[in-house]
Amino acid sequence: MLRRKRWRFAMLAILPTLAIFAWVRIYPIAETLRLSVHKWDILSKNKPFIGLANFRELFSDRLFIEALTNTAIIAFGVLLITIPLSLVLAALIHHRARSRLAGFYETAIFIPHVVSLVPAAMAWKWIFDAKLGPLNNLLGWFGVAPKAWLFDPVLAVVCVIVLCSWQALGYAVLIYLVGFKSLPVSLYEAAKLDGATGPQSFRLISVPMLKPITLYVSVVTLVSGFNVYAQAFVLASDAQGAPGRQVRVLVLDMLENSFRNYRVGYAASEAVVLLLIVLLLTLMQFSFLREKGGRT
Amino acid sequence: MGAHQGRITSSKFRMSALGTVLGGSLAFGVAAASAAEITVWSGYPEMVPFYEHVAEGLKEKHPDLTVKVEAIALREHEKRIALGLTSGEAAEVIELGTSTATRYLENGLFNKAPDAVAAFVTDPANFSEFFRDSASYEGAVHGVPLFRGQSALYYNTEMFKAAGLTEPPKTMPDFTSYAEKLTQRDANGNPVVSGWSLRLSGGGAGIAEKFWINMFQYGENLVEQAADGKWKASFANEAGRAALKQYIDNVHGLKTVTVEMPADAEAFERKQTAMFIRESWVIGDIASKAPDLPYATATLPRGSIVAPVTLWTSGEGEQAEAAWAFAQATNDPENLLWLLDNVGWLPNRNGLDYADILSRKPALAAFVDYPDSYEFFTLPNIGPVEEILTRTADRLTQAFGNASLAGNDAGIDEVLVAMESEINGLLQREGLLAE
Repeated sequence: MLRRKRWRFAMLAILPTLAIFAWVRIYPIAETLRLSVHKWDILSKNKPFIGLANFRELFSDRLFIEALTNTAIIAFGVLLITIPLSLVLAALIHHRARSRLAGFYETAIFIPHVVSLVPAAMAWKWIFDAKLGPLNNLLGWFGVAPKAWLFDPVLAVVCVIVLCSWQALGYAVLIYLVGFKSLPVSLYEAAKLDGATGPQSFRLISVPMLKPITLYVSVVTLVSGFNVYAQAFVLASDAQGAPGRQVRVLVLDMLENSFRNYRVGYAASEAVVLLLIVLLLTLMQFSFLREKGGRT
Repeated sequence: MGAHQGRITSSKFRMSALGTVLGGSLAFGVAAASAAEITVWSGYPEMVPFYEHVAEGLKEKHPDLTVKVEAIALREHEKRIALGLTSGEAAEVIELGTSTATRYLENGLFNKAPDAVAAFVTDPANFSEFFRDSASYEGAVHGVPLFRGQSALYYNTEMFKAAGLTEPPKTMPDFTSYAEKLTQRDANGNPVVSGWSLRLSGGGAGIAEKFWINMFQYGENLVEQAADGKWKASFANEAGRAALKQYIDNVHGLKTVTVEMPADAEAFERKQTAMFIRESWVIGDIASKAPDLPYATATLPRGSIVAPVTLWTSGEGEQAEAAWAFAQATNDPENLLWLLDNVGWLPNRNGLDYADILSRKPALAAFVDYPDSYEFFTLPNIGPVEEILTRTADRLTQAFGNASLAGNDAGIDEVLVAMESEINGLLQREGLLAE
């Protein structure tokens, strides 16, 4: 009786939270799934059911394919840069934890994550500017010809990857630092007694022990990489003809289809594809990094 | 202790609940008291002073009316209209181009004008047929025409003089030969000041719109209405080739401009380009950012785009009435002349006396004083117009960056055919493709 009462009380207590979660998370996802099989222009009351027609059109739409390719390259590019770099940086900072400058190192790396995106992207836009940017000036000292960083289709994507990685690094380092702090010191001491060098301890103790952290950081980085929008929008597009090639990414394509082309059903089908990709990749990451028989 | 704490908590809860109720009532009261407040949504931040000027002038007739102006970048403005109108949270006065407004009119999301406003708009003494139509839907007036985007050539007179050029280009081939003479290069022959700034990159639709303006000078349009009222793209021909070839020649052949160079109004104001084609707002922009810039304007060889912008209203009751009063007040001759003089956008209303402004700002002449044979085109009022422009812009950007198209007419034709076929595909999808 008491248990049932407790259970009822617990349910009542979490009900408001569950309701909010369902309203702001579950309902939009369900609505997106529903819209993806309808034709809707956002304005009309008519939403005819069209089955999988939106999905069939998607895979023959060159702009969607371009957006999907760019987004995947950016997401994996950011992941490949962020994970190893943040792990090494976190190890270095952790190693220098007793240094007077430890706080400075942490802050310096974390600042890009908290800096407002638009001014940061504008600063990077200036760095990459083909005519006035310091990057081309710097490369010029080594005899490298100036590059149209923001116009060349390949380099423009590289620029977005650099900006996203710069931003993602701070958060990843912070999480890894927490992971490092939780590792038992005795393991390192034992390894030292056995004659292991610093890099060996890092490779053979830290990296495997930090697998769960790596899983978390890589999932978060990859998911946010697939949701890239503002960085591409500010960095590689323009207001009044300042040089910059628009790097088409999935979220940008969805927004354009929803609010400029008034094809909400079609944009919803893009969102469903994005959802499936992110879900699939997350599952794959879990299966790759899950320790056999243990929790991640 | 526990019971006492419980009482405090419960009392705090009651107080906060009471506070919430009171706060809510107060907010409701404030909302009710400010019923005479209207909001204007604009997609042109430079229009804010104009709307504030109109609101100031309205104070005499409507002392209780408060006008809030919210202007953001055009693309974001379009998004908030789509969300705002469909959720019933839109501003009372909405500024929007007719080609984009068509979808909202089709769905009854803009108010029909009251009789007095309709009479004002339909009076031929006030507006030409083109602008009357641009503010109407199915024969009924739904908006008040305000201003238009219209293009002309801007050129730096000092650079023209230095290049030995005494008058603006008269034909499209002139544009290229002028660009060659006007381009300033460094010791290695790389351009440092472009001879003719072309829209080669950026966010999307603008690239296609600018290309259309240039192609129109050669006698061709991106889409044209057929006799059956439907639309078709058929520019993969000599005129289309000439227009695209001119871009490619200037970028990759003659290198009078490059994709990396600063472009558009900002470049012109900083003397980084000798000439470019743009709307009249640039005159106001130059006056505020580069008042000493030596420049003049000229009409284009054949004609220009006209993109009419209209004020539409939403909401009901007292606020809707106030919105219409505001929209009509924007068309007071004094306000329209203020608009031209201070912001630079061209009023749509007939019968305005521009003499005083033209004497002070001769650059405006190319926009209001054009030859009788001057032709105009406008963006079609059809649903997929934005998608057509965006997709075309994407193909154009790729072409502009493709050096292998220089001197390659077959390659240029391929690009044109692909563009044309994509546009016709979009028209077909929407049931708008002409036979």
